[in-house]
Amino acid sequence: MRIETCYFCSSRIYPGHGIQFVRNDCKIFKFCRSKCHAAFKKKKNPRKVKWTKAYRKTVGKELAIDPSFEFEKRRHTPLKYDRQTWTKAIEAMKKVEHIKQKRQGTYIMQRLRKGRELEQERDVKEVQRDLSLIKSPAAGLKERKQKEAEEMHDSEEEMEGVVENCGEVTL
Amino acid sequence: MVYKRKKYHYGDTHLKKKWRTKRRTKDLDQIDEDIKPENAEKLVNQEVDYDKPGSAQFYCVHCARYFIDDHALHEHFRTKVHKRRLKALELEPYTIEESERAAGFGNWKAPEKRKIETIDPEAVSESKKMKIA
Repeated sequence: MRIETCYFCSSRIYPGHGIQFVRNDCKIFKFCRSKCHAAFKKKKNPRKVKWTKAYRKTVGKELAIDPSFEFEKRRHTPLKYDRQTWTKAIEAMKKVEHIKQKRQGTYIMQRLRKGRELEQERDVKEVQRDLSLIKSPAAGLKERKQKEAEEMHDSEEEMEGVVENCGEVTL
Repeated sequence: MVYKRKKYHYGDTHLKKKWRTKRRTKDLDQIDEDIKPENAEKLVNQEVDYDKPGSAQFYCVHCARYFIDDHALHEHFRTKVHKRRLKALELEPYTIEESERAAGFGNWKAPEKRKIETIDPEAVSESKKMKIA
């Protein structure tokens, strides 16, 4: 008994499920369900179909390169049964799976964090652009003008004073 | 008066024929194997086979098609179908091994891009002559 992988979506195929296609060069294509088989018959490219693992890894949605992927492999060497190695292997499998899931989770969360930053930036920009909807630009315009006029008056007086002073300094 | 029976073509869609695995054309990963120089040379210089179009003397490796004569083959090189195929072959095709890598057996490898040019039978045979001479 063996759990196979689907050619199209790379999901697991349990015994009694799916269908196989043997091409005329003896290559065996295994499919998990009719959806994947139909897509294959239509010559769809799994790298471009969004619901497949191949797409998610090529586009960088999921963790693709990590040493934790190197554990699970097809080793074509028969092992003599030994209870100790068997129990150890089972223990190791659980541990590796735990580590793998943790790393995949953190990878996705880090990817999403970038989006949140961008969202905040966009919000700030939007508020600054459309501030006039919240606070009218004409609010307090009269008072501001009055203040400006007063300041102008004051500065003019100062200017005059300066001129007078200058006049006194002349030889 | 007797009329001819209607609806002869019920369920006879072009898609059904195209999607069947019965008359399947070569897949991209098979052609990728064919493009390799040692295989391409064999395919271009095939033995005379009267069952194939043009006695199997005018073959396009990229499109896996036989043509009836040299003129037809060279006209084919100028078509969109052929150019599209060249473009499709630029990226390494998807294989069974890649589907396993995507499932988590081993690290993922991004497909590589390469440059692909039409394999002209004349050029191939000329290079062969050069080697002999």
